Amino acid sequence: MFANRKIENIENEVMTAISVARKQQPLLNAMVSFMEADEAVEHAKSSSGKLAGLPIVLKDNVLTKGVRTTGSVSILDNYIGAYDATITTKLKDAGAVIIGKSALDGLGMGGTGTNCHTGFVHNPYDLSRMAGGSSAGSAALVASGAVSFAIGSDTGDSVRKPASFVGIVGVKPTYGRISRYGIIPYASSLDHVGYFTRSVEDAALALEVLAGRDDKDMTSSFRAVEDYLANLNGDLSGKTIGILGNVIDSIKNESTLKLFNDLVEKCKNVGATVKIVNMDPKRLQTCLPVYYIIANSEATANHSNLDGVRFGMQESGDTLEELMTNSRTKGFSFLLRKRFIIGSYSLADENQELLLRKAQKVRRLLVEDYKAALADVDVLIAPASGDVAPLLTDTSADQLSARYLIAENYMVLGNFSGYPSMTIPMGKINGLPMGINITAKPFEEQVMFDVAFGMENLTGCKNMTAEVMV
Amino acid sequence: MSFEVIIGIEIHCELKTKTKMFSGAPVSFGNLPNTCVNEIDLGHPGTLPSLNKRAVELAITACELMNCEVDRLIRFDRKNYYYSDLPKGFQITQQFHPIGRGGYVDIEADGVSKRIGINRLHLEEDTAKQFHHGDVTWIDFNRAGTPLVEIVSEPDIRSGKEAAAFVEKMKSLLEFGDISDVKMEEGSLRCDVNISLRPYGFDGYGTKVEIKNLNSVNNVLRAVEAEIVRQTEIYLKGESVVQSTRRYDEVSRKTVLMRKKEGAVDYKYFPEPNIPPVLISDEFYNRVKSQLPKTASQRKESYVAELGLSDYDASILTSGLDLSNFFDAIVRFGAPAKATANWLISEVLSVSQLRSDKKFADWIKPEHMADLLIMVSEGKISGKQAKEVFADMILGEAPKDIVAKKGMSQVSDEGQLLVWVTEILNGNAQSIEDFKNGKDRALGFLVGQVMKLSKGKANPAMTSELLVKELSKR
Repeated sequence: MFANRKIENIENEVMTAISVARKQQPLLNAMVSFMEADEAVEHAKSSSGKLAGLPIVLKDNVLTKGVRTTGSVSILDNYIGAYDATITTKLKDAGAVIIGKSALDGLGMGGTGTNCHTGFVHNPYDLSRMAGGSSAGSAALVASGAVSFAIGSDTGDSVRKPASFVGIVGVKPTYGRISRYGIIPYASSLDHVGYFTRSVEDAALALEVLAGRDDKDMTSSFRAVEDYLANLNGDLSGKTIGILGNVIDSIKNESTLKLFNDLVEKCKNVGATVKIVNMDPKRLQTCLPVYYIIANSEATANHSNLDGVRFGMQESGDTLEELMTNSRTKGFSFLLRKRFIIGSYSLADENQELLLRKAQKVRRLLVEDYKAALADVDVLIAPASGDVAPLLTDTSADQLSARYLIAENYMVLGNFSGYPSMTIPMGKINGLPMGINITAKPFEEQVMFDVAFGMENLTGCKNMTAEVMV
Repeated sequence: MSFEVIIGIEIHCELKTKTKMFSGAPVSFGNLPNTCVNEIDLGHPGTLPSLNKRAVELAITACELMNCEVDRLIRFDRKNYYYSDLPKGFQITQQFHPIGRGGYVDIEADGVSKRIGINRLHLEEDTAKQFHHGDVTWIDFNRAGTPLVEIVSEPDIRSGKEAAAFVEKMKSLLEFGDISDVKMEEGSLRCDVNISLRPYGFDGYGTKVEIKNLNSVNNVLRAVEAEIVRQTEIYLKGESVVQSTRRYDEVSRKTVLMRKKEGAVDYKYFPEPNIPPVLISDEFYNRVKSQLPKTASQRKESYVAELGLSDYDASILTSGLDLSNFFDAIVRFGAPAKATANWLISEVLSVSQLRSDKKFADWIKPEHMADLLIMVSEGKISGKQAKEVFADMILGEAPKDIVAKKGMSQVSDEGQLLVWVTEILNGNAQSIEDFKNGKDRALGFLVGQVMKLSKGKANPAMTSELLVKELSKR
C-alpha cells in the first residue's frame, strides 16, 4: 500500500524493490532493463508529490529519455528514448522512482507474456504458468511484491487479463483519461495507458497522478481530474450491479463460477441490487475478429516508422528498399510480421471495405450494445477470465469455440467503447488467483473504484503477493 | 492544332506558419539541415500529432479566396508508403474529406477571361528533403512536417497560356492572402501539370502525362507547350502516349521521362485515429472570413477608384505583395499616389531587379521614399535632383540629410530666378529671335541654360513661366 502512507526511508524502500526485482529476475524474467535510481531517489527526498519515494516499474513501451526503450522488439533493441512520455514526466514530478522497464509481448501484441523478445515471463504464483499479457512483466513484478505500482498498457485486455492471472488490481481508465504521448503504440484507437496496484485505494490515488489533458495527445480529455482516493466510498448499498450474462453462460469452469456467485451473493447481502444483462450473443462472438482487423490495420501503419533508417537496428541492403526490408524482416518476430500482413491485407484498397470498414461498423454496433447494457446499471461485472492462468506450454485453446470467443475476449469491449474498466482479484482456485472485471460508464472512474472498493472489502483480496522462492 | 488539350494542375503550397503541421518544431527555410526538427518530425516511437490551428486558419482563408465550400468538420487520413523522406511511413493528409471542395478562380489569358474550377483543397504535411550525391543520400528533415495545402484544379485548362495564367493567379491569391510566400524556385509552391490530348468533339480523355517539379511560371508555359507538341506528334504518327511522369528540361526545352506509371499505387488510405474530427466553430470560421486579406484584384480596384491610378500602373503595383505593401506604406506616409506609382515603376523596380531583391522595405524605407516624393511635389527639389538623392538613399541615407548635405534645395524665389533669367536672356539674342518666330524649342533651350547657370537649383516650372513672361516683354 502506498495510498495514505508516507514513505519515510526512501533509499531503503527503493533499494529493497531493486534488490527483490533483481533476485526474482532469473525466475520471473519480468524486467528488460534496470535504471539508475540514485538521482531519482535524491529528487524524491525533496518531493512533496503524491508518490514521493515510491519505486515503480514502467512497461518497456513507455518512453524514457536517455534510457533504452525496446517495445520488446529486436528492431528497437538499441533504441534509447529521445524524450520522456507524458506519463513518465508526471510520475517523476509526483516523486516516483522508476527502477526499471518491464517485459511485454512485442509491441503489446499478445496476451500471454510468451512473445517477448527477452523470453517468457513467468507467473509468480506458479512459474510454469503464464503471467498473461501483454503487460506481463509489470503484472508479475507487482504480484511478486517487488513493486506496488507498475505501468502497463491495454489495447485488448493487456492490463486487465494479466491482473486476473496474478491476483492484483489492473486498471484501464476511459479512453482519453491518460495521455498516450510517448507510449509505443499498438493500435491507436484502442490503446489505453493502464496500470497495476495491489489495492483499490492505491489504484484511485495512481489515477490522480496519471490522468489529465495533454496537448500532445489530441485524444486526451479536458475533463478535470477528480479526487478519486478522497472520494472513495465502498458502500455497495444502493448500487446497481449488472452481470454480463453472456460471459457467465460461456464459462464452464465450476470453480470460477462459484467464486463469482459467492461474491455476487455477498454484494446482495450488503444491499446492492444485482441483475443479469445480456447482449446479442452472436454479435458478441465477433469481438475477436473485429479486434484483430482494427488492431492489426492500425498497427501496420503505426509501425511503418520502424524501418531501420533513422534509429533502431539497421540491416544493410543494396537499395533503400532492401535495407528497409532486411531491417524489418530481422527486426520483428514471425508473429508480428504475420500481424502486419493481416493488417496490410485488411487495408488494401480491394479489401478495406469488406474488412477494416466493416470491422469498424461492427465495432460501432458492439459499442451501442454495450452502452445499452450499461444504461440501467452502475457497473457491469463478469469474471475476467474463464479459468486461471494457463500453463506456459498450453497451446490448446480452441480459438473458434464460443467459450473462447466470449469469455476470453469480451473485455475488449472496454477498448472498443473506451469505457473505464478494471480487474480486481476475487479469490483463488487451487492457490491460483482469479479476477473479476468491473466496467463503468465513460469517465465514471469514481463509480468503478467505489464498487471495486466495496467488493475488495467483501473478498478480503487486498495486498495479495505471491511467495517467490528465490 | 488538331487536338483539344486537357490540362489539370495540382499545386502544393507551403503555409506561412511558425510551427509545423503536427508538431511544435519551427518551420524554416535555409536553416542548417536537421536543426528545425523534434521527435515528432523524425517519426520517433510513441509520438502523436497535434493539429496546427494557424494552418487550419490559412486553409480556410485559401478556400474562401478560391470560392470553395468549406467542410467544417476537419478530418485527416493516413497515406501509407515506405520511403526515406517519410519518417512515419505514412503521410497525414485529407484524402476522404478535404477541407475545401467545388471552388473556382477566374483567369485571363490572351485578353480572354475564363473560370477554372477547383476540385479540392486539402491540408497535409510535407516530406523531408533529399540530396543525392553519388551513392550517398543526405536527408534534411527540416522540411518534414511543414504544413501544406494541396489544390487540385478541374481539367478546365486548355493551353499553355491558360496553365501559366492559372498558376500566376494561384500565386497571387496565396501571396496576397498571406497564406504562403509562393517561391517556386525555393519550392514553397510546387506545381504538377497533368496533360492529355483528345480529338475535338470526343468526350473521353486521352492518356494522361504528369509533368512534375516546374519551378517557374515561365516553365509551366514552356513545358506545356513542349508537351503538347510531343503528344501531337505521337498521335499524328498513329502511336499512343504512354502514361508517365515527366519533367521539363530547360536546356533542351523538352519534357523528359522520369518514370512510367505501372498501375496505380495502393496507398491504403484510412482515417487517422490519433486526430479526432475537429469541428470548426461558427466563431472561428466567421472570424477568419471577416479578416480575409484583400486580393491583388481588390487592391488594384481601389488603386484605380480611390487613388486615381491608371489601370496599367495599378496592375504593375499589384503584381507582387511586397511591391503593393511598399506602395501602400509610402502613400500612408503622405506621398502623392500618382508620383509614388511613377517612381516605383520607373526607378525602384529597375533597381530591385538589379538587386534581384523584391523585399523593398529591407533596403529602402518607405518613409524615406515618401519624404523624397513630398519634397518633389512641394517644389523643394527638382525631379532630376530627386534621382540623384534616390541613388544615395539606396545606401540607407535619409533624403532630407542628402539634400541638406548637397545644398540641393531648389530655388523657387522669384527674385533670384529673375536674376538668372535676365542674365540668360541677355546673352542669347538668337534664342529670343527664334522664340518670337514660333520655335518652341527655344524655350526649352533657355530653361536648360538657366538650370545650368543655377547648378540645377532653379525651379524648372517657375523658370519656364518666368521666361515666357520676360520674353513677352522683349
